[in-house]
Amino acid sequence: MQQPLTEGVYYILLALYEPRHGYGIMQIVEEWSDGRVKLGAGTTYGALKNLQEKKFIETLAGEGRKKEYVITSLGKQIVEAEVTRIKELYNNGRKIIKAEGDL
Amino acid sequence: MRIFKFFFDDSKEEQWINDMASKGWHLKKIRFSFYYFEQGEEGEYEYRLEVLDHFLKGKDVKEYLDFTESAGIELVQKRLNWLYFRRHKSKGPFELYSDASSKLTYFNRMLSIYYLLIFINFLAVCTNGAFALVELTYDLNFFISVMNLLAVLLLIVPTINVIKRKRILKKEMAMFEN
Repeated sequence: MQQPLTEGVYYILLALYEPRHGYGIMQIVEEWSDGRVKLGAGTTYGALKNLQEKKFIETLAGEGRKKEYVITSLGKQIVEAEVTRIKELYNNGRKIIKAEGDL
Repeated sequence: MRIFKFFFDDSKEEQWINDMASKGWHLKKIRFSFYYFEQGEEGEYEYRLEVLDHFLKGKDVKEYLDFTESAGIELVQKRLNWLYFRRHKSKGPFELYSDASSKLTYFNRMLSIYYLLIFINFLAVCTNGAFALVELTYDLNFFISVMNLLAVLLLIVPTINVIKRKRILKKEMAMFEN
């Protein structure tokens, strides 16, 4: 079984279904989450380094601030497994709440 | 404005720099223990301090600084491994580490640096202390030994501070993911 991803890593991987540079990731994640998830620069940079080591993402051509990242097929498998896990959490949550008659 | 100040605790230093900024004094540079401030609008900038991994290569440091720059973060000063960043308040609240797991990694990085510094200073206390004991005339060795002991004692303050912050964070992490 795969370990749950942190919210930040999950969103970074989603953002990289399209090639993006570091700051582009931070901006789109903030937008998608309506300003709830504001990734810090240190957090994002550290996550990108770790994800590259794990081969979940790779870099495209470009240097320094123009460096672009994109998700790998292994990374996509990880995201799919995570979506399945979140679905399980969500479905069970809904089932119980419905039984309580609150929804 | 120039202020002479000496810090052994990074969180206190960051707090003081931000307090100055909220009064309209923005840190511009640091030379030795002199902090130079420029007057501006009150609370115009938010400052964050970060220590880099001591094994980080020059290329990786440059890459990180390019990254922070692209995120609208300005590097005010670099002192050895310590970076002094600021960001204009128009760009929103400024945090370098936004979730618990990356904060934990950062606390561990800080601790490994403090432990290394304590170890080096402690070694110096022992070797110089031993010289001073063998040859009672070696006043210089005795003096160095005392100075290093003082450094060890002063380093214990920020170390305990980081250990405390880490403990609080771990408690949170047992319940919440971020």
